[in-house]
Amino acid sequence: MKKYDLITPEGTRDIILEDCSARRSVEEKLYNIFKSKGYREVVTPGLEFYDVFDLNSIYYPQESMYKLVDGKGRLMVVRPDTTMPIARVVATRLKDQIMPLRLFYSQSVFRMKPAMRGRSDEILQSGIELIGSSSKRADLEVLTTAVEVLSSCDNEKFRLEIGDIGFFKELVSRLGTDDDTVEEIRRLIEVKNYPALNDLLDSIGDNEVTNALKQLPRLFGGEEVFEKASQLISDDKTDEILSSLHWIYKELAKLGHNGKISVDLGIVNKLDYYTGIVMKGYLQGFGDNVLSGGRYDHLIKEFGMDLPATGFAVNVDAVAKVMSAKQEIRLAPSDAVVFGEDGYETEAIKEADKLIAQGMVVENAVFDKLDDVLAYADEKHISKVIVVSDSVKTIEIGGGRNAE
Amino acid sequence: MQNENRRLRIALTKGRLENKTVDLLDKIGYDCTAVRDKGRKLILPVGDTIEAVLAKANDVITYVEHGVCDIGVVGKDTIMEMNGKFFELVDLGFGKCRFALAGPKGRDFYSGHNVKTIATKYPNVARSYFEKQGMDVEIVKIEGSVELAPLLDLSDAIVDIVETGTTLKENGLEVYEDIAPISARLIVNTVSMKLRKSEIEELIAQIEKNL
Repeated sequence: MKKYDLITPEGTRDIILEDCSARRSVEEKLYNIFKSKGYREVVTPGLEFYDVFDLNSIYYPQESMYKLVDGKGRLMVVRPDTTMPIARVVATRLKDQIMPLRLFYSQSVFRMKPAMRGRSDEILQSGIELIGSSSKRADLEVLTTAVEVLSSCDNEKFRLEIGDIGFFKELVSRLGTDDDTVEEIRRLIEVKNYPALNDLLDSIGDNEVTNALKQLPRLFGGEEVFEKASQLISDDKTDEILSSLHWIYKELAKLGHNGKISVDLGIVNKLDYYTGIVMKGYLQGFGDNVLSGGRYDHLIKEFGMDLPATGFAVNVDAVAKVMSAKQEIRLAPSDAVVFGEDGYETEAIKEADKLIAQGMVVENAVFDKLDDVLAYADEKHISKVIVVSDSVKTIEIGGGRNAE
Repeated sequence: MQNENRRLRIALTKGRLENKTVDLLDKIGYDCTAVRDKGRKLILPVGDTIEAVLAKANDVITYVEHGVCDIGVVGKDTIMEMNGKFFELVDLGFGKCRFALAGPKGRDFYSGHNVKTIATKYPNVARSYFEKQGMDVEIVKIEGSVELAPLLDLSDAIVDIVETGTTLKENGLEVYEDIAPISARLIVNTVSMKLRKSEIEELIAQIEKNL
């Protein structure tokens, strides 16, 4: 007896009707924004070799990847991330293109999450990558695009946070501790675990660097953060990082989204391909970030081409969830259904095409009797039945019942 | 859902941690009569700005992780077992105990070459502890009194919460090693921390002052 033929696997779900329409409208909105700025679409395979995600200097958590084995015994994964495959494509098939390269994508990623925690393993991500420029202008372009994306979803209640992971990396490089300790410090900053962070840093030493790291998770908010940070530590390297972030912050302020753009020097993502500016976007109504990204100047080098790059990805499913909670999306009924009497089947389809060309949504009736068509139209709240024989006749259905 | 207009929602682990947190909120000056006199209600107002949600420890983490509660009070034991994505901001200092490896008195746990069996209510804590030591163990999940497992020869040792050690002693067991100290923690949803920064920071400052 089959046991699992009626359900979908843990962490996956069917997306049906209204949900699909919400998701599609978010995807289209992003598509239009990206396309209008000269970004071109790429699609990478759903299956990649494991090696793409197992790079020398970058660790991708292997327990979160769905793996399988190909016909030759090679290990493959179901795409857990899109930026890394795009880095591969850029370093191989797109390496002779004129830089900078503007790419966008809209495809699912698969990450194994702990079961029963109410999170999906499959996420539709749309995002951009701006490749081949290390200029602050590139960072600004990507960030303003992120702001445009978020404000187009919810102009009132979005939040974009920016940080620079270079600040953290610079500080920990001065500690002279091993990678495991650095990772532990990173993790404690990420979860803002002040007590444990203080204990760990106290055990390493009491100096300017450990004190600055202790304060790092608290360094978030508005423009005052730059002042606070420079009081903690100030030398050529850190000043440079802070002043370029400050420049970006001030430029973004010119977009006029008062108070919605903030700074967090404690953004220290686990995905360690980021090297500079990092960002996270939030919408009211979703308990996690809906947008994340940043600068990754060393990732493409892993695939053989030394190119700086920056970009972000949007969790389309999360945005769709927020949007459909805000306003109920209802699928409108078709505008009309055409029915051809016996011998007029093709004429009916041609008549439908005429109406469709005028912008209507028109179904073709597949019932044999007009009564069945009328009953169907009434039940589906379709307001017109068009009957095609040697003439074309319109029957209006239902009066007040017809919703929208 | 995050909603800047609703009360700040704080999920409390039912029982001792709940009472201690309510005492703390009381001391800060919030009106806690509704929570103290709760009957069977699960969501209760605290003062004019906070709403307390009473839940089991694991659920506190789930609610905070999803952002339906902004803040949670939960033991470090649950955090270590569940993991999850949230900010762990304050060590509240109460609810103190520790994770320990314990077993029959006088036995050398590490002797012999056989793979040891560990009984525990906290399989993730036990697994990661032995992973760090590079030691293979077999883990058996027990729901009730874990002390029974070594007594019945199901396991070589247990990984469990130890407070005073009385239960262990009365059953002829002893602590071999401490694994980690435990106390109540204040956790915060990552998005709430950003969207309701000033309210949350103010509450935390008050809490830290009154600890």
